[in-house]
Amino acid sequence: MQHILRLFILLVGLFAGTGSYAADAAPKLTTPDDLGPQIEQPIEFPHFRHAGDAKDGGMQINCMYCHTYARRSMVAGIPPVQKCIGCHQSIESVRDKPRIQKLFEYWDAKKPIPWKKVHDLPDFVRFNHERHIQRFYFQQDRPYQEVCGYCHGNVKAMTVAQRQKPLTMGWCASCHQKDHPVSANSTETGHGPNDCFTCHK
Amino acid sequence: MTENDFNRRDFLKVLGWGGTAVALSGCGNTSIQDGQETVTSYVTLPSYVIPSISNYFNSTCAQCEAGCNIMGRVREGRVLKAEGNPNSPINRGRMCGLGLSGVQAHYNPDRVRQPLLKGEAIAWDKALGVIADKLNGVKGAEVAFLTGNMSGHVQALLGNYMDELGSKNHFSYEAISPAVLRAANKKAYGVSMPRYRIDKARVVVSFGADFLGAWVSPVHFSQQYAQFRKGNRPEGRGVLVQIEPKMTLTGANADRWIAVRPGSEGVLALGIINALGKAGLAIPADIAAASKAYTTERVSSETDVSAEQIEKLAALLKERTPSLVLAGSAAEGYAHGSQNAAAIALLNRVLGNVGKTVEASASVPFPQIAPTVGNRASLVSLNDGLAAGKYKVVFSYGVNPVFSAPAALKFKDNYAKADFKVAFAQYLDETAQAADLVLPLDSAMEDWATVVPEYMVTPEGAGSAAYAQMSFRQPLMDKLYPDTRGIGDILLALLKQRKADKYKEFDDFYAYLRSAVLKNKVALGGKATDDDDAFWDETLSKGFLPMKGIAGTVSAKASASDLKLPSAAADRDYPLRLIPSISASMRDGRNANEPWLQESPDPLTTIVWDSWVEINPKTAAKLGIVEGDIVEVTSRSGTIRTQAYLFPGIHPDAVSVPVGYGHEAMGRYAKGVGANVFAMLDAVFDKETGELALNETGVKISKTGQRVLIVKEEGPVGGSQAGKKKIAVQVAADKVDLSKEV
Ligand code: SF4
Repeated sequence: MQHILRLFILLVGLFAGTGSYAADAAPKLTTPDDLGPQIEQPIEFPHFRHAGDAKDGGMQINCMYCHTYARRSMVAGIPPVQKCIGCHQSIESVRDKPRIQKLFEYWDAKKPIPWKKVHDLPDFVRFNHERHIQRFYFQQDRPYQEVCGYCHGNVKAMTVAQRQKPLTMGWCASCHQKDHPVSANSTETGHGPNDCFTCHK
Repeated sequence: MTENDFNRRDFLKVLGWGGTAVALSGCGNTSIQDGQETVTSYVTLPSYVIPSISNYFNSTCAQCEAGCNIMGRVREGRVLKAEGNPNSPINRGRMCGLGLSGVQAHYNPDRVRQPLLKGEAIAWDKALGVIADKLNGVKGAEVAFLTGNMSGHVQALLGNYMDELGSKNHFSYEAISPAVLRAANKKAYGVSMPRYRIDKARVVVSFGADFLGAWVSPVHFSQQYAQFRKGNRPEGRGVLVQIEPKMTLTGANADRWIAVRPGSEGVLALGIINALGKAGLAIPADIAAASKAYTTERVSSETDVSAEQIEKLAALLKERTPSLVLAGSAAEGYAHGSQNAAAIALLNRVLGNVGKTVEASASVPFPQIAPTVGNRASLVSLNDGLAAGKYKVVFSYGVNPVFSAPAALKFKDNYAKADFKVAFAQYLDETAQAADLVLPLDSAMEDWATVVPEYMVTPEGAGSAAYAQMSFRQPLMDKLYPDTRGIGDILLALLKQRKADKYKEFDDFYAYLRSAVLKNKVALGGKATDDDDAFWDETLSKGFLPMKGIAGTVSAKASASDLKLPSAAADRDYPLRLIPSISASMRDGRNANEPWLQESPDPLTTIVWDSWVEINPKTAAKLGIVEGDIVEVTSRSGTIRTQAYLFPGIHPDAVSVPVGYGHEAMGRYAKGVGANVFAMLDAVFDKETGELALNETGVKISKTGQRVLIVKEEGPVGGSQAGKKKIAVQVAADKVDLSKEV
C-alpha cells in the first residue's frame, strides 16, 4: 500500500511537471487546429498585394522573385532588405504608408528586419526546397502558386501570420505516398522517397 | 525486499505512464517552435552568398609549422570546416587531424577576449599606453621579444619594430624543433633543410624521423609516402625501415621496425657503413677509416641490434638505389645528437643519395620575410639573460615557455625577474598567466598574415629548384569578439607610437600587407602591367604565390673527420632513459585546449584524455608493474605521476611519456589533463648546437600502489598478444628476408 502511495505521488509530480512546463511557454507551442500560433511580425507583410491575382488588386509576382533561393538551395531565403528597397524607392504612391515607412527605417539604419519564423522544422529534419521546386515547378511545369502552396497554403491571399499546414512527419509522408506524374508530358507516376535518411540526416 | 521497497519494476511502470502522459499531451501536434525564432534577413547580400550553400575561401593552416594551404568552408558567414587546398604543392588538398581541429581553436570558449593588465580587463588604448610608458627610458638592449617560428610580413613588421626600439633581442623558440638536424644538414649537404624525396627512393631508412606523424611537414610526406608504396611505379614498391627506441606512427607503418638502444643511432649508422664496405660497396677513404672500428659484433652489442640484422640492412641498402636515410628527432635528442645526425648523414653520401633523393632547396629572395626557425638554444640564451636581470621589458608571442621549458632551466622564476612582461595570447596559458599585460589575439581564422614555410616543396618541372612559396592567411569569418586584434595590427599600432609619420599611410595591417605585396608584384609572379586590384583578388583566391627563389645546391660534404660517438654509460640511480614522445596531434601542447585532439586516440596506444608512460613488458615485469598502475617517474629534475601502459614497441632500457599534456592553465580542456613531461627534464645540451637534449634524462620508476582502468579504444581481447601462449607463428619477424620483400 505504502509504495502505491509513493507511486501516486510520483505520478502527480510528473503530470504537474509537464503541465507547468506547457504553461510557462509563451506563445503556446501547439494549437488545437494543428497550425501553430498566430505570430506577430515586425512588419505585417502583405503577401496578397505582391503575389495576389490581378483581379484582387495583386501584382502576381512570382514567389521566387523574392524567395530567390528556393530553386537552388535548401532554404527559400528571406529577401535582403535591399531587395524590398530596390522596388520601393521608385514607388512613390505608397511611400507614406506606415509599413513602408517602417521598412525605410530599417534600411536607413542598415538594420536587418527581425522576421519571426512561421514555418519551423525541428533541427533533426532536413527539408530541401530546391528538390521540390525543381521537381514540381521546372520538371512538371505546375503553376508556382500551386507548388509553393502545397506546404505554405494560399499565400497569395494573406499576410503570413500562421502556418497553414501541420508540417508533421505524418503530413509529409501522406504526400510522399501519393503517386505523382514524373514529368509534365508523361503519364508515368512515382512516389516521393520514403527512407528515413532522406529527411533525417 | 529491502525496507525501502521501491523496486525497479515499479519504477519502470511509472516511467511508462510518464511516457504516455507526454505522448498524450502532444497528441497530433508537433513541437515545432513557430514564432520562437527570428529569421533575420541580410540588409544587403554579397553576390556570392546563397543561404545554406557554402563558399570556400583559401587560407593557410596555422596549427603547425608546415603551413599547409587550406580552404575554409564558410556558410552564412561562419567557418564550419577546413579542407586542404587541392592546388597546393605542399598538401595537395589534404590535411591532418591537427589541422582540422583549427576551427576549435577559433570557436574555443576559453579565448582571451579583452586586454588584461594584471588580470583586470582594460581598454586597448590604455593597454598600448601602458606599453609606451614601460618602454620609456628603457634601453633597446633591455627589451626582448620572444616568438615561435615566424615568417612573412608580420615578421617584417616585427623586424621594423625591433629596429625602432634599437633592440637585437629577437629570440625564436620552438619546444619541438629539428634544430640539430638543420645544423648537421648544413654541414653535410650545405643546406639546412634539403628536399627529401621519399617518393623517388626505393628504400627509406629512417632513424626516428616520424614523417607520417609529427616531423617537419607530415601531410606532404604522407603523400610522398603514398607514391613510395605504389607497386606500379617504375622503381617498384619501396621498403621502409624505421630504427628508433620508441615506436612512432611511422615506425608502425614500416616494413621493418628495429628497436635500437637509445642514443646509439650514430653507432648503428657507422656499423651499417662498415657492413656496406664489407659487402663490396666503394666507401670514401676517410669514411672507411672512421667506420673501421665499428665492426658488426661491436655495433651489435652497443646498439642491441642483431649482427644478422645489420648485415641484412646493409644488403638491402646496397641492392636498392636510390635510397634515402633520414635522421629524426629520436636520434637528435642527445648530448651527442649532432654527432648522431652527422653519422647518419654519412650514409646518404656513401650511398650516393645526395642530389638524387636529397635535393637542393631554394631560398627566399626577401630576407625580411624568410622564415625564422625556432630552437631551444635561443630560449636558453633568453633564460640566461633573464636570470642575470638583463631584460626589463619582455614580449612573447606564439610560445609558451613557462610550460615547455625544461624544469632544470627554472624559466618561470627567471621570467618573473623582468619588470614588465607582455604576452600576446589567444589563451591564458601558463606564460600569459605569468605576464603583466595580456593582449588578446585574433584566431588564425580571423587574421591576416603571409606565411613562408621553411620546408617548401619543389614542384616537378623546369626551373623548379628556384621555387619558393608565399602563402596567404585571410580571415574566414568576422571576428567572434570585438576586442581581439591581429598581431600585425598590434605591431603596427606599436610602430605608430614611435614613428607615426612613417606608417600613417597604413590604416591597418591589411593595408600594409596589400601594399607590400603589390610593390613586389613582379617578383611574386605577376606582370608589371597587371591591374593591382585584379592581381590582389586573384592572389587571395588562389591562396598562395610562387616566388622566384634563389636556387640552391646540395653537395655531398658529409665528412667523418671529427666524429665522436660515446658509448652509453649506465646510470645506476636513474637506469631508464626517458623519451618524451611527440604525438601528431598534441605536439608541444599549444593545441591542448582543442577537445578533438584530446579525445582522438593516440594511434599506437589508443589512449584518450590523459598521459601515460610506455614501458616494455619485460621491464615492467621486472618492476612488478601492470597496465594501469599509477607510477612515479622520477628524474634528477622532477617527478610526474601517471598511468603505466605496457607497450612492446619500446626498447627495454627506455620509457616514454607524450609531451603536451599536463597544463596548469590555458583552458577547461587542457588544464589538469595528464602530466607535463617538460617539468622533469634535465638541462643537458647538445655539445655542438646547444640544443636541449630531449632524450638525455635518466629516470627511475616506482609504484604508488594506486591503479586505474586506462581509458582507451583498444579492447582487452586481442589488444595485446604479449604473454599469450599457444600462438603459432608462421614466420618469425626476424627471419623474414627483407631484401626480397616488397
Ligand atoms: S601538417 Fe596538419 S597542422 Fe600542420 S599545417 Fe598541415 S594541415 Fe596544418
